[in-house]
Amino acid sequence: MSRIIVMTSGKGGVGKTTCTANLGMALAKAGQRVAVVDADFGLRNLDLLLGLENRIVYTALDVLAGECRLDQALVKDKRQPNLALLPAAQNRSKESIKPEQMKRLIKALTKVYNFILIDSPAGIEMGFRNSIAAAREAIIVTTPEISAVRDADRVIGLLEANDIKAVRLVINRLRPAMVAAEQMMSVKDVQGILSIPLLGVIPDDEQVIVSTNKGEPLVLEEKLSKAGIAFTNVSQRLQGEKVPLMDLSIQQESFFTRLKRLFGM
Amino acid sequence: MVPDFSSSQRGYQEGSHLSGGPPDGAYPENTPAPDGVDFNNFILEIEPEPASSDSASVQTKPESNPNLQVQFKSEGGRLLLILPPAPEKSRNPVYWEELRRQLKERISGGERFLQPHTPVHLIARDRLLDSQQVQEIDSLLSDAQLPLKRIYASRRQTAVAAATAGYSVEQQTTLGHLGQGQEASRQAMDEPLYLQTTLRSGVEIRHRGTVIVLGDANPGSSIVAEGDIFIWGHLRGVVHAGAGGNTQCRIMALHMQPTQLRIADKVARSPDDPPAQYQPEVAYIGPDGIRIALATEFALADLTTQESP
Repeated sequence: MSRIIVMTSGKGGVGKTTCTANLGMALAKAGQRVAVVDADFGLRNLDLLLGLENRIVYTALDVLAGECRLDQALVKDKRQPNLALLPAAQNRSKESIKPEQMKRLIKALTKVYNFILIDSPAGIEMGFRNSIAAAREAIIVTTPEISAVRDADRVIGLLEANDIKAVRLVINRLRPAMVAAEQMMSVKDVQGILSIPLLGVIPDDEQVIVSTNKGEPLVLEEKLSKAGIAFTNVSQRLQGEKVPLMDLSIQQESFFTRLKRLFGM
Repeated sequence: MVPDFSSSQRGYQEGSHLSGGPPDGAYPENTPAPDGVDFNNFILEIEPEPASSDSASVQTKPESNPNLQVQFKSEGGRLLLILPPAPEKSRNPVYWEELRRQLKERISGGERFLQPHTPVHLIARDRLLDSQQVQEIDSLLSDAQLPLKRIYASRRQTAVAAATAGYSVEQQTTLGHLGQGQEASRQAMDEPLYLQTTLRSGVEIRHRGTVIVLGDANPGSSIVAEGDIFIWGHLRGVVHAGAGGNTQCRIMALHMQPTQLRIADKVARSPDDPPAQYQPEVAYIGPDGIRIALATEFALADLTTQESP
C-alpha cells in the first residue's frame, strides 16, 4: 500500500517545499519510488528546488484536461531516477482544481509509487483543501516561532476534522544556541503545544539557501551538512527505522567553545 | 554556397517530442512497482471524470481551439474586443478574474497603439456577464479613452444585463462573420500581437498569430503563439512558437536564456552551463531539432537558402 503524505504548515515560509524536496530525494535515495506532487498552483516552487523547472512539459492541469497522460506529465529526476515530480500549473489559481480531481491524480500515482509526498500551499483555503483531499498521513512543518506554531495547531485541527489521523511533526530552522539562551522556543515547548509525535528537528543552516538557489537538495551532497543529515534521519524514521534525534545542542556548544577559543576568550 | 554556422550554434539540449512526454527518458533500473508495474516503462492514466448528472454539461462541447484569450481586433475603423468563450465549454477556461487581468494587461501592454476615442464593440460570445462586469469592462476601456459603443452577446442573460446597464446591445445567435466560429483552427492567423510590457511569472499569453514583446519574459511566464515569437528583451520563460504545428516558426530574442523553447512539436531546454555572453539569437527547427543561431548570421543563412533552388 502506497503512503500518501501531505506536507503542510498553515503559515508560509516555514520550509514546506524545502522539506518536501529533501525528504522526497532522501526516500528515493533509499530505494523507495517517490512521486512529489506540487499542489501550490499559481505559485509553484518545488520544481525550482529540485532543479527541474526547464524539464516541465505538461502540468497536472493538462492531465486533468485530457491533453496528456499522467506519465507524460511526470518529470523524472535527472540525478535520482526513483524520484518524479508532478508539476503544478503556474498560470492558474488554486481554484482551478477540485479536491475530487486531486484524488484521481493521486490514486493513479499509487499504482507505481510507494511514497507520494504532496507539497501543500500555505493557508487553509482551497489549495490546502486540495492538497489534503487524497492524503492518508500528514507531516506538519513548523518553525519554533509562536506564529508558526499557532498556525500549525489550527492545521492539525483541520486535518483531524478531515480524518487524517497520522499526523507527525518536523520542527524546522531550530537554532540551538538561541534555545539555550532561552530566546527561542525549544523542541519541548513546541511539542508541548502541538502534542503530536515528533519526526525530526532540522537545524537552521545557511546551506539550505545555497541548495535552493542551485536546485540541488541538501541530501544529495557528498558530505552531508547538519540539515542534510537531519533530513536523511527524518526519511529513515518515516520508513519505520529507529534513529535517535541528533544532539544539536552539544555540537553547537563545541562550535561555540571553538569560537571562543579562537578569539582567546 | 552552403552556409556553415555550426560554430555559431549553441548546443541546446534536445528534448523529446511534445507527444512523447517530458525530456529525459526511462528509468535505468528495472525494479517492479508496487503491483508489478514495469518501472522502466509504464503508462499511467487517471480515471475519467465521473459522469455528471447536470444536463447543462452534456450539451456543452469543448472549444476546438484552446488558444483563446481576450483579444482586440480592428475592423473598419472600430475596435472589436473579443472575449474568450464561456469557461464551462473550454479546456483552457478563462474565468472572470483572469479575464479582467488579461484585459488590463492587453490595454496597458498595447497602450501606444490604441487610438483614443476609437469605438469599441464588445463581442461577449456565449459568456455570461452581469451588468456589473459589463460596467467594469467599460471602465477599464475608458481608462484608455476607449468608448464602449455596442455589445454583442449570444446569451440572453448577458444581453439583458448589458441592456439594463444602459448599453446598446445586439443579441446574436450566430457569430459567423466575427471570426470565432467553430472551425477556428482552420482559419488564417490573427494579426500580430504587440505588447510593451514585462511578462512576469504566472502570465501566459496565447495568441493565434505572431507575438512581439517589447520587454522581458521572466521565468514562470509563457507565450504560446501560432506564429513567430519575437522578444525585444530578455527571454527567460517558456515560449512555444508554431503552436498550431508550423515547423517554420522561429523564436527571436535579444537575450536568449529561456527555461524551455518549443517550436511546433519539438522541445528544447537551455544548456546546464549558460554562455558567458549573450547576443541576439534565433531559434528554429534544423535537421536535428531545435537549433539556435546568432541573429546576424542567421539572416545571412536564411537569404542563401532562399536563393538556392
